[in-house]
Amino acid sequence: MTSMTINTGARAAAAASRRTSHKRRVRREGFVGWLFVLPAFLMYATFELLPLLMSIQYSFLRWDGIGPMTWVGLKNYATVLEVPSLFGTIINAFKLVVFFSFVPVALGLIVASVMRRVAAGRLGSLSRTVLFLPQIIPLVAAGIIWGWLLAMPGLFNQVLRLVGLGGAARAWLGDFDWALPAVGIIGIWVLLGFCTVLLETGMSKIDPSLYESARIDGSGWLREFFSITVPLLRQEIGVCLTVTVIAALSAFDIVYVTTAGGPGYATAVPGIQIYILAFTEQRIGTASALAVLLMALVIIVILPIQRLSREDRV
Amino acid sequence: MKIGRSEIFAGRAFLCALMLLTVMPFISIFMTALYPSGTMPSGFGWPEHMQWGNFVEAFKVANMAKLLASSVFIVIEVVPIALVISTMAAFAIGLLRIPGSRALLALFVLGLTLPFAGIIVPLYYLERRIGIYNTPLAIGLPLIGLYMPFAVFWMRAHFVGMSTEISEAARLDGATTWDLFWRIHLPLARAPISSLGILMSVWTWNQFLIALVLVEDPSRRTMAGALGAFQGHYATNVPLLCAGTILILVPTLLIFILFQRQIIAALLQGAVKG
Amino acid sequence: MKCKAFLALLPLLAATTLAFAEGTKLPTPPFGKEPVVLNAYFETGFDIPFKLAEEFTKQYPNVTWDIKQDQFTNLINSTPRLLAGDNPPDLIRLPTMVSFSKQGLLKNLDGYANSLGWASWPVPQLSQNRVAADGTRGSGALYAMGLNYSMTGVFYNKKLAAQIGMKQPPKTLAEFEDLLAKAKAAKLLPIMEWGSAKSGMGLAFPLQALMASVGPTQPINDWIFQKKGATIDTPSNLNAAQHLEQWIKKGYFPTDINAIEYTDAADRFTKGEGLFTFNGDWQNPAYDAAMPGNVGFFAMPPEKASGSPAAMSAPLTYGIAAKAKNADAAAFFLTWVASNPVARQINVDVGGSNPGGPADAATPKVKAGSVTNETLAAGVVVGKAGTAMDFIANSTSAIFAQGWTPELQKMVGGKQNAAGLLKAVQAEYLRELAQ
Repeated sequence: MTSMTINTGARAAAAASRRTSHKRRVRREGFVGWLFVLPAFLMYATFELLPLLMSIQYSFLRWDGIGPMTWVGLKNYATVLEVPSLFGTIINAFKLVVFFSFVPVALGLIVASVMRRVAAGRLGSLSRTVLFLPQIIPLVAAGIIWGWLLAMPGLFNQVLRLVGLGGAARAWLGDFDWALPAVGIIGIWVLLGFCTVLLETGMSKIDPSLYESARIDGSGWLREFFSITVPLLRQEIGVCLTVTVIAALSAFDIVYVTTAGGPGYATAVPGIQIYILAFTEQRIGTASALAVLLMALVIIVILPIQRLSREDRV
Repeated sequence: MKIGRSEIFAGRAFLCALMLLTVMPFISIFMTALYPSGTMPSGFGWPEHMQWGNFVEAFKVANMAKLLASSVFIVIEVVPIALVISTMAAFAIGLLRIPGSRALLALFVLGLTLPFAGIIVPLYYLERRIGIYNTPLAIGLPLIGLYMPFAVFWMRAHFVGMSTEISEAARLDGATTWDLFWRIHLPLARAPISSLGILMSVWTWNQFLIALVLVEDPSRRTMAGALGAFQGHYATNVPLLCAGTILILVPTLLIFILFQRQIIAALLQGAVKG
Repeated sequence: MKCKAFLALLPLLAATTLAFAEGTKLPTPPFGKEPVVLNAYFETGFDIPFKLAEEFTKQYPNVTWDIKQDQFTNLINSTPRLLAGDNPPDLIRLPTMVSFSKQGLLKNLDGYANSLGWASWPVPQLSQNRVAADGTRGSGALYAMGLNYSMTGVFYNKKLAAQIGMKQPPKTLAEFEDLLAKAKAAKLLPIMEWGSAKSGMGLAFPLQALMASVGPTQPINDWIFQKKGATIDTPSNLNAAQHLEQWIKKGYFPTDINAIEYTDAADRFTKGEGLFTFNGDWQNPAYDAAMPGNVGFFAMPPEKASGSPAAMSAPLTYGIAAKAKNADAAAFFLTWVASNPVARQINVDVGGSNPGGPADAATPKVKAGSVTNETLAAGVVVGKAGTAMDFIANSTSAIFAQGWTPELQKMVGGKQNAAGLLKAVQAEYLRELAQ
C-alpha cells in the first residue's frame, strides 16, 4: 500500500516512521504473543507431538520395551500389511465408518430437518436433550449397557421373540456376521445426537426466507431437504463427518468392553491391536507401526472431507 | 407456514419414537439393576421385589467414594489449567494474530485428528521416563496436552470473531497485551470458556484408555477407567454391574441436565466457526 | 526329556502329599511385628488367593494386603506393565513367565527354594516354573511357584448322564463321542463351554484334551516349553483338531459360545445346561456348592482302551517381581501356603486342587461326596501315566489372545478348519518367538 505513495520528503518520512513503529509493535506483540502461546504449546508438544514422533521412531525398531532397541527399517510396516489379523483391523475400522459416520450424519440430517419443520417449541428442545444424552456418557458405559442389551437374555432378543422372530435371536456380539454391525449400532446410538444437534444448528442459520419462498411454491419436505438444506449445510456436514470418522477409526473403548476384538478378529480395530501388541506381546515396534499407519489414515481420510466441505466458502 | 397436519403428526411421532429408542437402553439397565444381585434377569421387566440395595452394594464394592474423589481431583487438576493456557494461546493466535499464527493453528489442528490409541504407547514410555507414571499426575498432565488442539481451536473461533476496535481503543489508552487479555477479552469470553470447561470436565470424567494404561490401581483412575475394571469383577452379576454403571453415569448425567443449555449452546455457537 | 521325567513324578507327589502325616515345620517369618503391606495382583473369579491372603493376615496380623484384581485376559495385558512399573507386585498371578524372566522382570526364586526348603519338596512342583537361559521351560532357574497343582478334565452332570444311560465314565474317545451323540439325540446340550474373547476361548481345553487323547503328550509339552523346532502343527494334533471341528459342526457346544464368559459357562452348567463341561478342579467348590452330589469328573479318555488318560495339569503359578519391596515376605507366604495345615485345607476346600508342598505335609480332609475326591484320584492316575501337560494357552504370553482364542472362535463361526487353525497358531507362535 505505502509503496504507492509519491514521495515528497515529509510524507515519505512520515510514512517510513509509521511503518517502522508499526513493525516494532508487531515484533513486540509477536514476542509477547508467543509467550501467550508458549504454555499451551509446551503441553501440547510434550504430550502429543513428542509421542507422535516417538511412535514414528519406535515403528522402525524391534523393541520389547525393556531390552535394547534394534533398527529393523520398514519390517514392522511389512508385518502389519502382511499379517491378516493386523491388516484386517484397518478394514474393520473402515467398515465402522459406515456406522459411526454415514448413518448418524444421514439420519441426523433427516431428524434435524424434521425437528425444524414440526417441532420448533418444547418438543424440539426436549428431543435435542434426549438425543444428546448418549453422547455425554462414557463410551465404556455405553459398551456395558449395550453388551447387556445385545446378550442372549437381553432386551434386543426379548423384543425379537415378542414379535415372533425368536429364531433370529442370537448373541449378537459373539456372532461373526453381526458383531461388527452390533458395535456399529452402539456407535450410531452414541453419535446420532451429536450430529443432529450440530446439523440443526446449521439449519437455524439458513435464511428462513429461502424456506418460506420454497413453501410458498408448495415444495414438500423432500424437495426442501435436497435443494436447500443439504447444499447449505456443507460445512456442518463436513464437521460431523470429520468428528465421526475420527471416532470410528480410533474406536477403542466400546470394542474393548463389548467384544475385545472377537469373535475371531471380526471386531478387532487398530486401537485394540495396538494395545495388545504393545502391552501384552511387548512388540512395541509392530504396535507403533500400526499406530503410525492409523494416524496417517485418519489424516488421509479427513483432508478430502475438509476440502470438500469448505470449497465454496472463499 | 404451510405444513400439513398429517406431516406434523408423522414428524412428531417419528421424533417421539426416536427418543424412546434412545432412552430405552437406560431404562433397561435401570430395571435390571433392581433385580436381586447375582440373578440372571431378563432384559425388560420389573423384578418382583425391587432391590434398591444393589446401588448401595455397588457403591461399596466399586469403591465409589474413593473413585469419586479421584475423578474430581483429576478434573480439578486438568480443567482450570487447560482453560487458562488454551485461552491465552487462542487469544494470541486469533486476536493478536502473531506471526506464524496460521502455521501454529495448523499444528494444533493436526492434533485434533490424532487418535489417543496412536500415541498411547509412547505416552506410557514417556511417563515412565519423566517419572509421572502411576502417580496422581499420570492422567492429568497428558490430558491437558491432549485437550489443547480442541481447546485452542475452540477459543480461537471466539477471538477471531471479536472486533479489533476494542483492542485498538485500549491500545491507545496504553494498555499492555496482558491488560488487553486479562481486563478486556477474558471477561468477554466467559461464555465460550465456561462451555469449554464443562466439555473438558465431562471428557476427563469419561476418559478410558489413558486411565487404563497409565494408572495401575482402578480406584485411582477416572470414573470410566474404573468402570472397565468393575466390569471385569462383576461380569456375571448383571444386576450389580448395571447398578454400578448407573452410579457412574449419574454425575455426568447431572452435569448434563444442569448445564445442557450451555453444552448444547456451546455446540450451537462454536463448533463450526473454525 | 527331563521334564517328562519330572512330570512322571506327579503321582508320587500326589500320593505323598495325600498320605503322609503332620509334622511340617515352617521357617521363621522374615518379618517381625512391624506392619507389612503385600502388594498383590490376583485373577478375578477365583477365591483361593483371596481366602489364603485373609487367613495369612489372621495368623500374621501385621501383614496386610493391597490386592488388585482383574479378569484373566486383562491380567495378561497388564502384567508386563505392572512388573516393570515403580510399584512392582510382591505377588502376582503369572500364567506365563518366559519373556519376563528373560527381561529380568521376575525374581529368580532359587535362593528361596534353598533357604525355605522348596528344593526338597517332590521335584515336579518346581520344574514347570523353571526357565533355562535359552528361554525353554522345564529346567533352569526358578521364576514362579505354584499356589496349588490343578487338574483338568471333563465334569459331568450325573442326573443328565443317567438320562442318556451313562453308567460310568467313558473309557475311550469313541465311547465318549458316543455319549456326546446320545446327549445330542436326547436334546441335551452335550458340552457347556465358554468362548468370549474377554475370558479367553474355553475350547482350548477340549482341543488339548483331544490332542493328548489321540497322540503323545511330549510334543505338546515341548511346544509349550518353547523347545527348539517344536511345532503344534503335527499330524496327530490335526486329527485332534478335526475331532473338535466335528463336535462343533454337530452342535455339541452352545450356539452362543463366542459370547459366553467363563463365569457364565460355569454358572449355566450348574443350572443343568450341558451334560459335560471341560474345566479344571479350581471349579470344584463352586460345582459342589451349586449341584451337590450331582457332579462327576473323569480325565479325558484315550483313543484306544490300552492307552492312558491324559490331562492338562499345571501349577497355579505366582511370581514375585524382580524389584518387589517385600519379596521375602511373599516367598514366606508361598511356603506357608504349602505347609500350614489351615492353608492346605483352604487350598483343597476353596481351591479344589492338590496343595503340593513338602512330602511330609498333612493331608487335608476332603468331604465325602465332593468332586474333589474324583479330581484328586484322576490326578494320581494321570501322574502315574506321565501324561500331564501344561496348558497350550501358556506357551507364550500372547498365544491365547492372538492365536487360540480368535482362531477357535473362527472355527466355531465356520471360518476356520482344523488344518488352518493349527497353521495359524503355529505362525503366531513363531512370530512371537522371533520377537
